[in-house]
Amino acid sequence: MEIKIIENVLKLNDEVAQQNRHQLREAGVTCINLIGSPGSGKTALLERTLEMLGSDLAVGVLAGDMATTRDANRLAAFTPHVVQINVGKSCHLDANQVRQGMNSLDLTALDLLIIENVGNLICPVGFDLGQDVKVGMFSATEGDDKPAKHPYLVLEAGLLLLNKIDLLPHVPFDVTRFREDVGSIREGIPLIELSAVTGDGLDVWCTWLRRLCNERPSTDKQPCCEPGAVL
Amino acid sequence: MHEAAIISQLHDQVVTSIRARMPDEGQEDPEPIGRLTTVHIRVGELEHLDDEVMNTVWKAYTMDTFLHGADLEIMTIPLSVACRQCAHEYVPEDPAILLCPQCHHIDPDVKQGTGIILHSIVIDEPVEETA
Repeated sequence: MEIKIIENVLKLNDEVAQQNRHQLREAGVTCINLIGSPGSGKTALLERTLEMLGSDLAVGVLAGDMATTRDANRLAAFTPHVVQINVGKSCHLDANQVRQGMNSLDLTALDLLIIENVGNLICPVGFDLGQDVKVGMFSATEGDDKPAKHPYLVLEAGLLLLNKIDLLPHVPFDVTRFREDVGSIREGIPLIELSAVTGDGLDVWCTWLRRLCNERPSTDKQPCCEPGAVL
Repeated sequence: MHEAAIISQLHDQVVTSIRARMPDEGQEDPEPIGRLTTVHIRVGELEHLDDEVMNTVWKAYTMDTFLHGADLEIMTIPLSVACRQCAHEYVPEDPAILLCPQCHHIDPDVKQGTGIILHSIVIDEPVEETA
């Protein structure tokens, strides 16, 4: 006996993600899901970002890692609204873990929630967490072929970042090829090239964040910024 | 491992689907409706899931459960794209290169090739013994 079901395997995750999205929008909080490799500089970027935004925006961070509270400890120097989520053997955050993290935050005190996903360019892309925008992060030390090897992230992201541009003179990274590969997957996707160490490009990134928060969505289903429309 | 996370969700969904069809669902020890033999899923080409790894993880995950022994049958949903610039619909030769062969813009609207769908389950109905 064959029983037809026809259901999205990630249905349970997607339902919780939608609840997260609704709760965040009710509270007036914009949310981004930052996805990048281990060591691409996500936490360093967030440290500099929180420093630069200062009192402009009240920012909360959910930091996802397999183990330790090191990221949360680092970020706690810049904001009191930090929660570490340890995922154990899992390779990404899911919507339920984010929900639990959100429950530990006072959302009414926030303008922006940044979810720093577990370092991984593949698995986090497929899991909706309730964010408004996914931000894909690459870095100069990973090699220029990463967008071509991970096209799903480029297709899903509303913004791409290239970090560690201060190291470009010292590593074999062809920026032109990188940009061409990105463009061959998604023509017109916004790309910000920056360095969390020197601060180059951070003003553009922070302007993008401020603008995103000012364009808060009015419904649960529409993303508050269309890819390619912000920069 | 990406596949492990998907299989974990699939496992829970199959269990939920079977329990929902048990005549005495909700009771502590419901009557089985039969032996699960096959789970059919459809996986989009852009999901980057490896069939062999999926099957290995499925076997490992269902071991020692009442789903043990059920086969996982995976059908790939091929990628299909429509160009937002010229509306031309095409099937990219390489999923990483979505260049429109007609107008040469790269502005893809993915029509098909994403998602992971639990399509159906196959159950061997228990044969009632006759006296």
